Amino acid sequence: MPTDPTSAGVLRVEDLSITFDGLPDGFRLVDSVSFEVRAGRTLCLVGESGCGKSILSLSVMGLLARPPARIASGRVLFEGRDLLTLDAAAMADLRGDRITMIFQEPMTSLNPALTIGDQLTEVILRHRAVSAAEASRQAVAMLQQVRIPAPESRLAAYPHQMSGGMRQRVMIAMALANQPRLIIADEPTTALDVTIQAQILRLIRDLQRTNGSALLLVTHDLGVVAEVADDVAVMYAGRIVEHGSATSLFSDPQHPYTIGLMGSLPSLGTRQSRLASIPGAVPPPSQWPVGCRFSTRCPFADARCRAEVPEAREIAPGHIVACFKAPIELQAESAA
Amino acid sequence: MSDVMISADGLTKHFGGKTGLFRREALVRAVDGVSLSIRRGETFAIVGESGCGKSTLARLLLRLIEPDAGTVMFDGVDVTRAGPEELRRLRRDIQIVFQDPFSSLNPRMSVGELVGEPIVTHGLARGADVSREVGRMLDLVGLLPMHASRYPHEFSGGQRQRIGIARALASRPKLLLGDEPVSALDVSIRAQIINLLEDLKTELGLTLLLVSHDLGVVRHTSDRVAVMYLGEIVELAPVEALFAAPAHPYTQALLEAIPAQDPSARRDTPLLEGDPPSPTNPPPGCRFNTRCPFAIDVCRSAKPALAELRAGHAVACHRAAEIPARDVLGLVEASAARQRRIALFAEASLSSPPSN
Repeated sequence: MPTDPTSAGVLRVEDLSITFDGLPDGFRLVDSVSFEVRAGRTLCLVGESGCGKSILSLSVMGLLARPPARIASGRVLFEGRDLLTLDAAAMADLRGDRITMIFQEPMTSLNPALTIGDQLTEVILRHRAVSAAEASRQAVAMLQQVRIPAPESRLAAYPHQMSGGMRQRVMIAMALANQPRLIIADEPTTALDVTIQAQILRLIRDLQRTNGSALLLVTHDLGVVAEVADDVAVMYAGRIVEHGSATSLFSDPQHPYTIGLMGSLPSLGTRQSRLASIPGAVPPPSQWPVGCRFSTRCPFADARCRAEVPEAREIAPGHIVACFKAPIELQAESAA
Repeated sequence: MSDVMISADGLTKHFGGKTGLFRREALVRAVDGVSLSIRRGETFAIVGESGCGKSTLARLLLRLIEPDAGTVMFDGVDVTRAGPEELRRLRRDIQIVFQDPFSSLNPRMSVGELVGEPIVTHGLARGADVSREVGRMLDLVGLLPMHASRYPHEFSGGQRQRIGIARALASRPKLLLGDEPVSALDVSIRAQIINLLEDLKTELGLTLLLVSHDLGVVRHTSDRVAVMYLGEIVELAPVEALFAAPAHPYTQALLEAIPAQDPSARRDTPLLEGDPPSPTNPPPGCRFNTRCPFAIDVCRSAKPALAELRAGHAVACHRAAEIPARDVLGLVEASAARQRRIALFAEASLSSPPSN
């Protein structure tokens, strides 16, 4: 992982493996995952359905039911404390205060029976010894910060009276209310239209510049990554296959999965004749291969890839890849 | 044989608006006076954000819902006045691929039955020929003959969408409507299905009507594009012209909102503010005037007509000629390493088929 010794990570995930009861031994839906999110930085965890990115983010929030989920190895260090060892009460004190979350669908994560004002002040009053009037004043300030017009009048509104974009702004306001150290955003713009998505991404980027919290953003969308990420971790079938700064990952993609994902995106410039699609589909966890989990879909895979798990290695400073074949030019040359 | 496959003239559909003793439903102007014509063999895309009326328009073209006003002509036949027999033929000639491959296939039918049904219904084959035809369809979409005896739940999302396409193609349509056909799929599967649709279009000489909110997909697949806003077409142009020189302020804003394709292409230019107004109460004049940075008095009172700005490039904007062209996409070229590796990946996947 890209580590800067001078600034400690707000969140450090070390060798985390998660399994579920009832699954065969050694069966890990999240397998030996390590990364770090530092203050003022945005790490995007990118991957397709079933890659384990949501399980991972829920486990950091302490929202993963254990059992059936079980931590097979590793630690989740938040400001040096292992969140996995905290009891429910201690975790509840952190949640909504030091660590907050923005979900994909604001309609289902906001309470439809409470006004926006009730929900915002609740978050503040739960964690701060302030008067109701002060909490309400802070709530207005938060709505202002997320650029909701006429914030005072919005306090009395119910979620259903707002548009999807406005509801997501309210979610972001709630997440920021107590100046958290860490924000976890799970597909925060996936349910939104493109012009609204652009507004929210811009807002996330601007707020990130000013408030200095660490942001872990989970997404399937490389466009979102290109817009907001400082660092990127690409996940495939429970493992991080590539990890580095957004700049290096986009200009120098190394893992065949990352390359395939980038090739799957239509270009907005000149029209390509064909998209470079990744063959096959992500296998269900019960059929994950023994060696490199991408080996069943990788056009460069050989016998070793199917038998051994590739170690993560630093291919360029701060740029990690778990692939025997990277950089793939060497394979192409030696095959020719 | 005319060059036009399907055309609409003044097509209008309003929902609600019923009044009773104690209630008065809001009137939703889902599609309001839309005219367009789709040429034989082209891929025509309708784009817009939620609630702009693009799906309603597509359903009107197929007469899956009845219009309040306007006509649709398909291959010389007036769809809006077609009798039962003509409608049957139209249902064979026009087929749909839906967005959600999980809810659009009957879970109680095997793949063979799903794909065979339209063949039998339209009398295209009988007896043993039906299953031969089913096999041919499955092969066409990249599935195996043995898949015919399986049920939809046994397949992944991408394979289900292939089944949906096979079923749509089984009646040998001339026009295929894709209503967000890849929106529910993962990125890597999306590219496979896009490639498949493009291949099939060439192989079978189909005309493709694509309804989509995904501007990348539209850029890649379409020949011409209609942009909708609050029930109306605001711009209609060849895809290259639309992306290189969008003329309507809404189209400009829409394209500007597409996420960057590279971190070095991030921008801080001002974005379109606010949300679209409700289609129950669209503003008078140009419907975009409440959000348009160029709006003047005339835009708030008179509705602009969709008129040609250049040959083949129509726009509905009073000020189209005055609005400066600008680079709304802000593209940067992908790095040489990225381009090279994508090319290597594509080449290698063609020569080594996957093992699953």
